[in-house]
Amino acid sequence: MRIPKIPLVAGAIALSLAAAGCGGASTSNTTPTSGVSVQGTSTCKSGATPITFWAWVPGMARAVEAFNARHPDICVSLQNVGSGNQEYVKVTSTLKAGSGAPDVAELEFDELPSFEITHSVVDLSKYGADSVKNKFVSWAWQEVSQGSAVYAMPDDAGPMGLYYNQNLLAQYHITPPATWADFASDAAALHRANPNAYLTNFAAGDLQWILSLMAQDNAFPFRYTGGSNVTIDFTGPAQTAFANYWQNLLAAHEVNATTDMDATSFADLDKGVDATWLSSAWGPSYFATAARASVGQWRTAALPQWSAGVNVAANWGGSTYPVFTQSQHPQQAATFAEWLTSSDAAWTILKTSPSSLFPTYQPLLSDPSFTGITVPLSGTATPNSTFAAAATKVGTVQWPPFMTEALTESDTVFAGVLNGTGTLPAAFRAFQDKLVSYAKAQGFTVSTS
Amino acid sequence: MTLAIDRVAGRQRTARPPTRRSSWIHRRDRRGVWFIVPFLAAFGLFMVVPLGYAVYSSLYTSKLIGGTTFSGLANYQQVLTSGDFWSGVVRTVIYAAIQIPVMLVIAFFFAAIFDLGLVKFGKFFRTVFFMPFAVPGVVAAVMWSFMLEPHFGPVTQVLAAFGVQNVDFFGPNLVLPSIILIVIWEWTGYNMVILFTALKQVPRDMVEAALLDGATVWTIIRRVKLPMVRPAIVMIVLVNTIGALQLFTEPFILQQFENQAISTNYTPTLYVFNTATGGGQYNLAAAMAVILGLFIGVVSVGSLLFRRRAGDLG
Repeated sequence: MRIPKIPLVAGAIALSLAAAGCGGASTSNTTPTSGVSVQGTSTCKSGATPITFWAWVPGMARAVEAFNARHPDICVSLQNVGSGNQEYVKVTSTLKAGSGAPDVAELEFDELPSFEITHSVVDLSKYGADSVKNKFVSWAWQEVSQGSAVYAMPDDAGPMGLYYNQNLLAQYHITPPATWADFASDAAALHRANPNAYLTNFAAGDLQWILSLMAQDNAFPFRYTGGSNVTIDFTGPAQTAFANYWQNLLAAHEVNATTDMDATSFADLDKGVDATWLSSAWGPSYFATAARASVGQWRTAALPQWSAGVNVAANWGGSTYPVFTQSQHPQQAATFAEWLTSSDAAWTILKTSPSSLFPTYQPLLSDPSFTGITVPLSGTATPNSTFAAAATKVGTVQWPPFMTEALTESDTVFAGVLNGTGTLPAAFRAFQDKLVSYAKAQGFTVSTS
Repeated sequence: MTLAIDRVAGRQRTARPPTRRSSWIHRRDRRGVWFIVPFLAAFGLFMVVPLGYAVYSSLYTSKLIGGTTFSGLANYQQVLTSGDFWSGVVRTVIYAAIQIPVMLVIAFFFAAIFDLGLVKFGKFFRTVFFMPFAVPGVVAAVMWSFMLEPHFGPVTQVLAAFGVQNVDFFGPNLVLPSIILIVIWEWTGYNMVILFTALKQVPRDMVEAALLDGATVWTIIRRVKLPMVRPAIVMIVLVNTIGALQLFTEPFILQQFENQAISTNYTPTLYVFNTATGGGQYNLAAAMAVILGLFIGVVSVGSLLFRRRAGDLG
């Protein structure tokens, strides 16, 4: 899952309104507990083992209901305590406090190592997780496991692709670029043809997006396999080449230096200011709500390649489901996490709107009923077929166990790239310094190359 | 010894019946206790205990590798030498130096107008001016962020209609003025009511005497009313200075609209928050909070003492 920006604020408003008594539609199966409603428990039998589950995927309650109906001995209750960092802060606090943590919670791939290092997540191989290993794309399984230990069940992902407005590209006589070199010359050509338009936007403020593109360039800056050694390298040759590539486009104003995943960038896409979007499988569902004029014109292609003839993909986002060590019922919690992520029954629900999750679950990736899905935004095209092909070509990355800190600091460090007062290579150097000193203060042995 | 006590008791007896007095004291004590228990419980639970815990945890360091160890004043040393922390303090001081005087002038201007009865429907307009204060700070910040939003916000669009294009209220140059604008909108009405109440306390005969002496309205405001409400102004400045150093809500909400507009150390309280929740450095954040608290304490007590000597208070 991905966390949109403005909706967080809207959610905050909704919350404060609800607290003030202005909202308050409640259905028969929602029981308010400390301001957060519990969902999914309508089919629970009395005496069933209670499992608490935190997640923010829309429509997740449908899967929880289905699980509870199939497992009369277990009663999973779903709570949405906020998206992304809002939830992580609560999980971390309850773990620190020693009580109140959920049995299972949604964590993005990049956050999982932060909970592994504090020994807060259960090794699911004790509960048979290994038996479903082959149902998942290999990179996803590697990101949730260390050796034989499995610290979470992988769920959805965001393989990346080039999302393009076919009418606009045709208008500028551009075919979807196969290489990044083509991409750069197309960006220059398009901006020459129309100084008010760009081939794409560069979202310097979105660290996860940048890291995904770096991974595709074999320039991922982190290496970490547990323990006290970590590599942080934003200034090596590969990383600097990546930064220079984009800085050249930024300096020439051939890409649009702006934010992403917000109303502004969606408006730019819809109005033809940006002709393409380097996005992921889940991107279109967020853009769809903002698209008006360009509905039906969007097509997908594989990411441009750094050398001709290869096919390297990248992943942006996605979630995992660990069981926390505080759980009184890890067996039942693991049963739920495994069912949720590796059963046809769960995916039949989660692949559909409003959840619209893109699976790391292989049976679905090769299922024509999934790859053949059409969406209004893309007319008769089938975006999932492009993204499903990319999903198996993603390289594994190793996230450091302090991504919350990295994400918090990145907004400040990369701000200058967005407003034109700094360059991307300079931001990489500053970010390197910031993270290295943080990691050292946290007791890590830091390698920088 | 016995004699002495008897003598004392005897002397008391002559002054007041001792049994009555002691039981009265006793009863008063017990009643008093019940009156202050709710306050003390809340004060202890939500002020003393957290403060004590903050000081306690500021003396330790928790590392991801190596666990928690006693580190003495190391966290304090790190904060005191941290450019990121003090640049936030400097920013809030600049903010206060602009926001408080501007707000005071506007608040006093309208308080004086209402006090002199120069406008019709004074009560109605006083209520209208006070209304922003009734809007919760978070809601006000969200509302203003929508209005000032650089791409679709109505204020930006109106400016564009008048030929002022591409005003970025969240850009590096305008984000602090935008915050000042929001805070002034929120707090001017409240401070106006305080000043208005203070102006109403100025004895009528003083104003009448000044009028008889031929003073103009402007002279009366400047020479009679303003000096008489100086204590209220001093109080407002003090409270707002403390509030300014704790600036959090407006930049925090603005950040939800545009991440890059507000750095992690934009204000000291934001830095405390981000250090704790972002990096998980709760101990360092605790040391920051303690230092910020002491800094605010020194500023408030210092200015109180200064003003007391100047004869404005007490």
